[in-house]
Amino acid sequence: MSNTIIQFKNVTKQYDSDPTVLNDVSFEIEKGKFYTLLGPSGCGKTTILRLIAGFTEATTGEIYFNDKRINQVPANKRQVNTVFQDYALFPHLNVFENVAFGLRIKKMKKTDIEAKVKEALSFVNLSGYEAREIKEMSGGQRQRVAIARAIVNEPEVILLDEPLSALDLKLRYQMQYELRDLQKRLGITFIFVTHDQEEALAMSDEIFVINKGKIQQSGTPNDIYDEPINRFVADFIGESNIVKGTMTRDYLVEFVGKRFECVDMGMNTNEPVEIVIRPEDLEITSFDEGMLQVNVHSQLFRGVHYEITGIDQDGNEWLVHSTKKANVGDNIGLKFAPEAIHVMRFNETEEDFDKRLDSYTEGDANEQ
Amino acid sequence: MNNKLSRNLYMIPYAIWILLFVIAPILLVVYYSFIDTQGNFSFVNYEKFFSSVYLKMTLSSFWYAFLITLISLIIAYPTAYLLTKTKHKQLWLLLIIVPSWINLLLKAYAFIGIFGTYGVANSFLEVVGIGTQQLLFTDFSFIFVSVYIFIPFMILPIFNALDNVNPTLLDAANDLGASKWTTFRRVIFPITLDGVKSGIQITFIPALSLFMLTRLIAGNRVITLGTAIEQHFLVTQDWGMGATIAVFLIIAMFIIMFITGHRKRGA
Ligand SMILES: Nc1ncnc2c1ncn2[C@@H]1O[C@H](COP(=O)(O)OP(=O)(O)OP(=O)(O)O)[C@@H](O)[C@H]1O
Ligand SMILES: [Mg+2]
Repeated sequence: MSNTIIQFKNVTKQYDSDPTVLNDVSFEIEKGKFYTLLGPSGCGKTTILRLIAGFTEATTGEIYFNDKRINQVPANKRQVNTVFQDYALFPHLNVFENVAFGLRIKKMKKTDIEAKVKEALSFVNLSGYEAREIKEMSGGQRQRVAIARAIVNEPEVILLDEPLSALDLKLRYQMQYELRDLQKRLGITFIFVTHDQEEALAMSDEIFVINKGKIQQSGTPNDIYDEPINRFVADFIGESNIVKGTMTRDYLVEFVGKRFECVDMGMNTNEPVEIVIRPEDLEITSFDEGMLQVNVHSQLFRGVHYEITGIDQDGNEWLVHSTKKANVGDNIGLKFAPEAIHVMRFNETEEDFDKRLDSYTEGDANEQ
Repeated sequence: MNNKLSRNLYMIPYAIWILLFVIAPILLVVYYSFIDTQGNFSFVNYEKFFSSVYLKMTLSSFWYAFLITLISLIIAYPTAYLLTKTKHKQLWLLLIIVPSWINLLLKAYAFIGIFGTYGVANSFLEVVGIGTQQLLFTDFSFIFVSVYIFIPFMILPIFNALDNVNPTLLDAANDLGASKWTTFRRVIFPITLDGVKSGIQITFIPALSLFMLTRLIAGNRVITLGTAIEQHFLVTQDWGMGATIAVFLIIAMFIIMFITGHRKRGA
């Protein structure tokens, strides 16, 4: 009994002679986890969901569900339910009938349907709304009806296509908690699509970062935030300072004309690389003590921190999140720990990247 | 205050229009229905209307209108459905709509040619080996031509309704386990019901008062209320009786409008 519920093997999707929408995508989804597909508009997130749900067919490659190939299985025979981006609630049916739709098709007994629909509605905090028409519901309530309509069928997997994108910020945060909570209570696998990186980081067990029809990186929110594989991921997930550098040798990297100690190794001598340093890993000190010297260009108060941009003598811009205040126009120093430096190789595959990271952790373990 | 005044001013042309062209004619019709052939006020026309001749005529009018509407609907719905699936649907729709711009009389005469003893239809039957048949002046030809005339009016609202169905609703139904047929029965049809009702309305009501065709195509074998009105006004000059029938037709129209009207959902 493997824990894998969905598997994509070298799936490619192409419409007519357009460029490929998905290009040789492979991944595995495990039971009972919360997955997020994250990427910019048009990168193929919805296409992946549609392939899983069965609304469209892969051009090449295989899709497995519980170890069975399902490429040819029609959507109405799949153990998957979808919460659509625009909810797709049936306008001619009331809330109760919308939720009951799937159960009625299964020809379930009337009393059972009633009990299940009631239960599903109470799951999403909509008890008492049974008789309402869809157009009498607010956006957030509609979304919850859509979720209830999916969970009531007790599928093994629920696909959610940007279900929160239409909500205001406050309701959105609230729904993020409710969704995550719901997933934990039900123990169903959730595959959630968003292009909001904060949402992805907050909710997921695992994130797939997608760009141009390829999975760039997959991992826990921490992995992806702390160890982005390439410039795209670093830039897309959170704010970052990215500069060009060279790996002088193991544990020593050169950028902005200086050499710094780092924790990365296993690359060629003098290999050109890119360096990421997160703004919150930079600390303000005096000009002389700083490892980098910058001139403060602007400062914004963001509530929990100041967002400061400084420009070094080479003209690189450095973004700093600091609880300490600086003065615009001042020359200040910036300090950071060796762990704060993330080295990214050009064109490294995810496999090689994971291997390299594993080798450090093993190395660390040996030293201790 | 000023706003209200100007709004009322703008209303005047519409009010005059409605008064002159809607209310006044109806009142006139009602007035004439109480006038007998001698020009006196009486209920004789209404008494006549409830005689068996006119009741039968009413019944057959409704029956034919019902058949025409039903057949139009049965043909129009799948046609409209297929149209929404075609690539150049607007073009195809236009091609179907264009014949409705041609004058009714022209179309009727064309069919006389086609269905006549020496027409295309009979030549075809001859070739196939069935032999020449009496096509013109039959119930069949009457219903055939009427359906032909009304079908564009039935297709148009149904097409619009189908075209407006959000395609993700179909995915959603599919996702919840519905087969194609179940999706149609439980989602597509109920959602397009308003279009169907509009189609029924704009077919049934005119079909009830068809006249020209009954003479030209059905050879007066079918006498509808419309034909009767025409005859009373133009031939027998019994305006009172014609007006009485018209009153009942108007009432029938209101009833049908009420039945097929868009009732608010959930109200
Ligand atoms: N039916 C189709 N025919 C042709 N191209 C399509 C079709 N559906 C999607 N595409 C293309 O596939 C690409 C990926 O689309 P997809 O809907 O998966 O994007 P997405 O990641 O969900 O984007 P968004 O965040 O904007 O929803 C897009 O470039 C889109 O134009
Ligand atoms: Mg999408």
